Amino acid sequence: MTDARYFTTTKKGEIFELKSELNSEKKEKKREAVKKVIASMTVGKDVSALFPDVVNCMQTDNLELKKLVYLYLMNYAKSQPDMAIMAVNTFVKDCEDSNPLIRALAVRTMGCIRVDKITEYLCEPLRKCLLDEDPYVRKTAAVCVAKLHDINASLVEDQGFLDQLKELLSDSNPMVVANAVAALTEINETSRSGNPLMEMNAQTINKLLTALNECTEWGQVFILDSLSNYNPKDEREAQSICERITPRLAHANAAVVLSAVKVLMRFMELMPSDSEFVTNITKKLSPPLVTLLSSEPEVQYVALRNINLVVQKRPDILKNEMKVFFVKYNDPIYVKLEKLDIMIRLANQSNIAQVLSELKEYATEVDVDFVRKAVRAIGRCAIKVEQSSERCVSTLLDLIQTKVNYVVQEAIVVIKDIFRKYPNKYESIISTLCENLDTLDEPEARASMIWIIGEYAERIDNADELLESFLEGFHDENSQVQLQLLTAIVKLFLKRPSDTQELVQQVLSLATQDSDNPDLRDRGFIYWRLLSTDPAAAKEVVLAEKPLISEETDLLEPTLLDELVCHISSLASVYHKPPSAFVEGRSAGFRRVPLKPDGSAAAAAAPVEETPQATVIPSQDSLIGDLLSLDLNPPASHTAPAAANVPSNVDLLGGGLDALVSEKVAHWAATRAAGAPAPAAGGGMGGGTSAGLLGDIFGITPTPSNYMPPKQVWLPAAKGKGLEVSGTFCRRAGRVSMELTLSNRAMQPMSGFALQMNKNSFGLVPAQPLQVGGTGRVEEL
Amino acid sequence: MGGLLSYFQGLFGSREMRILILGLDGAGKTTILYRLQVGEVVTTIPTIGFNVEQVTYNNLKFQVWDLGGQTSIRPYWRCYYSNTDAIIYVVDSADRDRMGISKQELVSMLEEEELRGAVLAVLANKQDMEGAMSVAEVYSALGLEALKTRTFQIFKTSAIKGEGLDQAMDWLANALQAKK
Repeated sequence: MTDARYFTTTKKGEIFELKSELNSEKKEKKREAVKKVIASMTVGKDVSALFPDVVNCMQTDNLELKKLVYLYLMNYAKSQPDMAIMAVNTFVKDCEDSNPLIRALAVRTMGCIRVDKITEYLCEPLRKCLLDEDPYVRKTAAVCVAKLHDINASLVEDQGFLDQLKELLSDSNPMVVANAVAALTEINETSRSGNPLMEMNAQTINKLLTALNECTEWGQVFILDSLSNYNPKDEREAQSICERITPRLAHANAAVVLSAVKVLMRFMELMPSDSEFVTNITKKLSPPLVTLLSSEPEVQYVALRNINLVVQKRPDILKNEMKVFFVKYNDPIYVKLEKLDIMIRLANQSNIAQVLSELKEYATEVDVDFVRKAVRAIGRCAIKVEQSSERCVSTLLDLIQTKVNYVVQEAIVVIKDIFRKYPNKYESIISTLCENLDTLDEPEARASMIWIIGEYAERIDNADELLESFLEGFHDENSQVQLQLLTAIVKLFLKRPSDTQELVQQVLSLATQDSDNPDLRDRGFIYWRLLSTDPAAAKEVVLAEKPLISEETDLLEPTLLDELVCHISSLASVYHKPPSAFVEGRSAGFRRVPLKPDGSAAAAAAPVEETPQATVIPSQDSLIGDLLSLDLNPPASHTAPAAANVPSNVDLLGGGLDALVSEKVAHWAATRAAGAPAPAAGGGMGGGTSAGLLGDIFGITPTPSNYMPPKQVWLPAAKGKGLEVSGTFCRRAGRVSMELTLSNRAMQPMSGFALQMNKNSFGLVPAQPLQVGGTGRVEEL
Repeated sequence: MGGLLSYFQGLFGSREMRILILGLDGAGKTTILYRLQVGEVVTTIPTIGFNVEQVTYNNLKFQVWDLGGQTSIRPYWRCYYSNTDAIIYVVDSADRDRMGISKQELVSMLEEEELRGAVLAVLANKQDMEGAMSVAEVYSALGLEALKTRTFQIFKTSAIKGEGLDQAMDWLANALQAKK
């Protein structure tokens, strides 16, 4: 007998039994069988082989049985895509059932069946359900449209479901409105074009606001989220929206509260910050945020992460609420750490005494991470609130006396920063620090200590001995420590050249000859050459006066902060990362704070928005906006670095967040010959404002001489990763010039920067090389 | 003893008979089903999938399955063959072009082992249409003369007008009871 016998079995098995039960004539038995199938499915057994038999039970007047079959379908339709077609007719029938529950159930299940072959058959029933007389069916159908869009976007567009969905925005039932909003928002975010499908106007907003008061809590969240995407046309509109949503702040659901906070935070940007209205909202925002902190720890954590953003954006809101952020002994560690973070942000002169005594308390707790952060917080307070620095330093000294290893190390790290902030004030404590030299085993603490020794070498008698003791194990040190050690010894040498020559030679040879770390080697060589060629210059460089450090070292970048504020109450605000950083393919969900109209020209602030304007020249795929499209279509064009050493492979025109990683602030003018005949240019022009601009180029403006239109922002900082490009065209001595201002709004230096003029139909080419700083200034990096 | 049993079965309506309505798309299967069930002509759309209804005729209960006739659905007919007592095969008498396809489907269906004992009623439907083939023509076009062992009968019907359906059901009811 062959081994084949192992594969054949005389037992019919469970599946077979279920199959015969499913085909039983007795309804009771059938229902039991379906329940057994669902049970098997739930525990993970594969019962997909029963697909036809289960589907045959679908047409029943028993709601329970129908629900079970639907459940089965949702699970297995994908694995039996061909057979799934047998279920279509039943869906069609159920969508016309007299019972609205069945109609809604059918349309909901349909949306969950992600099988291409059958989606087209489901359009007709869906269309009917969108127009159903029962609101429950309509609201379910609205969500189904979003699901269908996810499966087949073009089908949804071709079938006109989007228009139907938009009509539901004016539905009489608030829940239907809420679901329609949710569906549209979802579709918006996934749509590849990035163009908003939902054109919000004052009328829609009004309807949404009316629905807001009547729908369920989650419906309110959807509506508030979509309101936060709306750009009010003026201050008054923003104010009236704010007024109408302020009552939501008192809602019991934390999600509703946070969504309302988001809308208010965003719209406050549109109003002058000193206005009474903003002050009022600021007052109203504080109690709900405080209330969030009395919920369970998980909710508290989310609230704290969001509050962290709020506090960074508008410290005023919670400035008097310091006490609620004091850590409770039974808070989980993640809540404690977040609270500590916010405490530091809120610390100011008036509450520093309270904060310090709290922090000192925390520094004696048992949780190592928390204690470390508390010690660090004391140092941060010292840097932030000058009046309290003395108190902070003495607190730190007390803590060092405890001789608890990690407390000492952490204290030394922050004391280094305090020295940087208040030079020549607290050096008397150096001797205390030096006592603890041997206990330091963490690189950061060692590096900080070495820095202190090097910096104040002239006041420490045995500085050379101390540094030499570190030098013994040079190769085993972390590179951070090695670098510090190198610099410190060079500093020491410059201060006390006579007796440390040997030491400096030792460290230089260690760094340059025995190390494979290029950073260390390079730094070693630089020092070596400096010292050997011109010790005076070396002194100037190495012992130069250092700029004071800023008080807030861990602030988010302003552009990132602005973006995150628009994502309050989402995962992005918990991660403190933009959604594009952790959700794949969702670049379209980019949101930003509306641009603030500036005083006089309030009405004219619109052109900076993303509305595409008419353009004569077909939009280009090139990295650099065509010179003229740049002119005609200011917001969409990205001038600047093309072939730079920056990661320029990112497609600048691709999406909202792609873009420029660059540059210093430069102010320059490129001069070009006015080659093209003026009438041709005038004739080729399409639109109003841009025509005026081009007119200026070719001198057909009635004010010919030296008129320079004000600069417009061509690339807002939020889109250019901090690089803001603004510019204008003007006529100077018979020549057309383009003036550009590139500003760095990021918190980091930009480098590597190139500019390219593309061909354009007006034949404008640079007449001479770029004149950087020709008419303006070149600023520091 | 057997007579007594069948007597009781008759008294309590016995078990439901399982009937399949098959045929090419657009032959009128769904219209026939609802004509039998509610006695009216309902507007139908192409059946992507199936309909199943309880039909009571002369105190006999039938569970009638109407399966879609689209090319894409025909392969799944076989899932419904087991325990079938009777087949109503519907033909669009006016669709001369596809008579051949209809014949092929019928022949391959009748070869199925599971349907060996099933009674067959062929309905030459749409007799109200002009240019419809006569019963005899349909009979030969489907090659019904080749059927030797099967209990079968052909009827001329018009589902829209309701003609011929009663005769077909009468015959079917008798044939099924005789079989028992």
